[in-house]
Amino acid sequence: MNMNSSRIGVFVCRCGDKIEPLVDLESLGSQISGIPDVVTCRTLNYPCTRPGMEEIISEVAKNRLDRLVIAGCEGRLMLKKFETELEKMGLLKGQIDMVNVRGHVASVSDLPPQEKAQKAAKLIRASAAELSALIPTPQAISNLTGPVMIVGGGISAYMAAKELDQNGIDFMLSAPTHDPNEVIRRLHLAYPGERESHDRVKKLAVEVVQSPHGTLLPPGELTGLSGVTGDYALTFRDKETGESRTYRAGLIIACIDAELHPSGPSFGHDGETVLQQSDLEEYIWTRGAPRGRVLFWVSDYETGQEEFAKLSAKGAWNMARHIRSCSPQSHAMILYDQRMEIPLNAGERALNRALGIEWIPCDKAVRPTVQDRQITFCGTNDHLEHDIEWDLLVISPERALGGEGLRTAEVLGLVHKHDRFLTGHHARVRPEMVGKEESYLAGSGRYPCDLDEALAQGRRAALKSIDMLKKAENHELHVPRVVCVVDPDKCIGCGQCQELCDCGGIGVEIGPGGGLPRMVDPLVCTGGGTCAAACPYHALTLQNNSNDQREARIAALSSHLGPDEVVAFACAWGGLPAADIAGKMGMKYDPNVHILGIPCVGQLDPSVMARAFLEGAPGLLLVGCLPEECHHSFGVDHSWSRVSLIKKLLSLSGFDKRRIALAHADLNRPEAFIRTVESFSHAIKTLGPIERTPNNLSKLKTLYNMARDNSRVRHLLSAGLRRPWEDVYRGDQRHALEYDRDFTAVLVEEYMQQRLIDVMQNERRPLRINELATALHEDERRVASCLMGMVSDGMLHFSHKEREAYYALNN
Amino acid sequence: MEKITFQINDREVEARPGWTVLETAREYGIEIPTLCFHEAVLPSGACRLCMVEIKDGDWSKLVASCIYPAAKGINVYTETERVSNVRRWIFEMLLAQVPASPEIADLAARYGVTRTRFPVKDPEEMCMLCGLCQRVCEEVVGLSAISTVDRGVHKRVGAPFLRPSDVCVACGCCVNICPTGAMRALFDSIRGETKTTLTQLTA
Repeated sequence: MNMNSSRIGVFVCRCGDKIEPLVDLESLGSQISGIPDVVTCRTLNYPCTRPGMEEIISEVAKNRLDRLVIAGCEGRLMLKKFETELEKMGLLKGQIDMVNVRGHVASVSDLPPQEKAQKAAKLIRASAAELSALIPTPQAISNLTGPVMIVGGGISAYMAAKELDQNGIDFMLSAPTHDPNEVIRRLHLAYPGERESHDRVKKLAVEVVQSPHGTLLPPGELTGLSGVTGDYALTFRDKETGESRTYRAGLIIACIDAELHPSGPSFGHDGETVLQQSDLEEYIWTRGAPRGRVLFWVSDYETGQEEFAKLSAKGAWNMARHIRSCSPQSHAMILYDQRMEIPLNAGERALNRALGIEWIPCDKAVRPTVQDRQITFCGTNDHLEHDIEWDLLVISPERALGGEGLRTAEVLGLVHKHDRFLTGHHARVRPEMVGKEESYLAGSGRYPCDLDEALAQGRRAALKSIDMLKKAENHELHVPRVVCVVDPDKCIGCGQCQELCDCGGIGVEIGPGGGLPRMVDPLVCTGGGTCAAACPYHALTLQNNSNDQREARIAALSSHLGPDEVVAFACAWGGLPAADIAGKMGMKYDPNVHILGIPCVGQLDPSVMARAFLEGAPGLLLVGCLPEECHHSFGVDHSWSRVSLIKKLLSLSGFDKRRIALAHADLNRPEAFIRTVESFSHAIKTLGPIERTPNNLSKLKTLYNMARDNSRVRHLLSAGLRRPWEDVYRGDQRHALEYDRDFTAVLVEEYMQQRLIDVMQNERRPLRINELATALHEDERRVASCLMGMVSDGMLHFSHKEREAYYALNN
Repeated sequence: MEKITFQINDREVEARPGWTVLETAREYGIEIPTLCFHEAVLPSGACRLCMVEIKDGDWSKLVASCIYPAAKGINVYTETERVSNVRRWIFEMLLAQVPASPEIADLAARYGVTRTRFPVKDPEEMCMLCGLCQRVCEEVVGLSAISTVDRGVHKRVGAPFLRPSDVCVACGCCVNICPTGAMRALFDSIRGETKTTLTQLTA
């Protein structure tokens, strides 16, 4: 079958009394039949029930349909059912689109059925145009193979390795030491108070070291990572010799532990009488259990890490237990903030009573003060200041990722924002993405936890890897259909995409000149698409959801809009569900607003926005998520920059910049969404349509060409894709005013050049300065200086005839 | 494919294997009210509002049409006295259980039920525990961010342990599918507080 044949079937749902009486379906049917590539159009009672679905399947077979538009209700609820049922007919994700006629047309206004049919037809036409422009890819299957590389030096590595070993999967282990005794010796540095588990962990380490499936790498520092899932290359530098060696692996498991540091000087830490928890463990290792009065102060509330108070308290209790059972003469006490619940279960409480470990609450209002051999605190019952005398004071550690763990995480691209811990993956998008990480992450570097939890995380990470490898072995590891792909012929390796990418899906390719970020990891890419919209050369494409498709969609809709009608792109996580819910609740809003759904407004290339105006839309509204709630992290913010570009270009062309606007919506506040669209559509009504004069059309064409093809503008735009106050990106932050002024100056310059080029291309003959100035309605001197610049850049040449200069385009 | 002929309201209808009575009726434009049925998820037969009567001579039984498979030769009636009696009882119970839901009040009014003789336990209640939110989360979204918490008369809808769910992707499918409007109020407790709110949104 020719994949680009484009045979579209449209199925319109009557939906009981929800669509049929409100929309003139007969008229809608005849309007749809005229849409290019539409082979068949049927009106069904309920396409989504068994009878309707069977009808669709037989139509697909009869007419060899390869793309479907279902005009009914919310795609968010129903699309999956159609995709699942029609997969066996060869229709894959991306080849079926849904138009919410019920929620965006039928229920939201009081228009007569005939006019609602027109509105529905416009939306269906747009959807069909998008499907016509689709170049469907075949379903790719990943042939992922091992080995699994375990890096990071965390203790969870051993649990992960054991799990892989038991499943017969080869692994490579990079750890600071491979001697099980040494592993135990160092364990307390990250996990104090876990003495009871030492034998167990040692046994685990012995098993792993002896595993026939394992390769133990010499101790080294991870310095480089290239490639994508299934084909990673990791470079380690040997600590002693300084030599670098590269290993290849299919998957990576990162086992990273946080570091424990003593608190600041006000806690009195001196390493001798005032210790931090892991110092005490070291003390016990070298000198045995201390005698005398040992006071554990759960100081996490005071250090600002109150969420870890229970963890510290548990560690303290474990050590207190050890001290009490080693030397019955010693006295163990735990001072804790009254806000903390004592983290002991019934059995542990009984043991606590038997051992006589004292838990002393202190009032949260007064911070305990450390003095020599005593601490003062405020009692919770009497509010008196009490003193406790101690021989050894043990305070809670401050926990944070640091040192080598942090360096490893940075090389692996796990650091999304600078925080004390690694957040794991943050993208909250479609379920297939949930819990998906660029590499599996385990250990207290992710979130402070006890040893058991860290080991369990290691095991889970290994199980996920095993699951993926098994799937790949059975040829069931499907590559997601909507992911980015790079065209290596267009890519110059500028790395803008990698800097913007929120999912870590841009991989590094090792070329002759070093690492170039110019490949996509399809198993990591979330399909956000802001990277594709940012590419100055259109080298990145979101497959099965491309920029060409969106341009086709907006063009088909804009060219059929009336003078007051506006287009709104609504993101699938904010604007679109808000519109769906408004429609379901029967809320009314201005029927002139035509809503198009899009997975994220960050996908919208400025060329799509410019295309809307070129094709005749008087206004374009973008409704994204709330700031900070963007499911693709920065999509809304990037869109802000692109909208701002179009605003500047509109102003330069003499149009009102209010014709484009970015809005934010929360799906659970449909009434606010309605206020947003009504306000925008009112503004456009006041402005009126853009007159389709030849001069206006030529300016809009220039605007579109600049947004789509001017690589200088696009480069500058993507380099500055952030609001001036955002500092989560690498690189220098520019002064907000300077950046804006420079950017505007470039636009002014490029706009005039583009206008001149467009005029010359139209006229197809050498032109004089005054002719060009008249065509542009511009001052002759400004045109002249621009022409001189273009000549010296080699874009134009000029010749003299009768003492007048004539300018023409090169080639 | 094999055809199954039977009768709905004395009218001959034709179904195919796998169709339910409800689907067949809808295909023939015969209206049966539903609440816990949604095409996006598998039917569960929980709300019993779609009850129809199947008659065989002087013997008859009431079945939930959303889960009753079409069978050859059965006689289905959607508007008999028994059916409307059951429907009225269900509507009255719903009106007592979810008095705050305008959607339920509207639907009940369409079938002539405007008051209830059952005591109203909570005048603010909107959720009738149809489970659509839980099912859509599991079957369509592919997650289990919502579940029913507690049992029996204490049963209610919420995230596990009634704390904002880490699993929730805030897609809003549950809000969209909820037939009573209850999910709108519950949604924020499941997805967690949004990090930012615009002033106009909180207004």
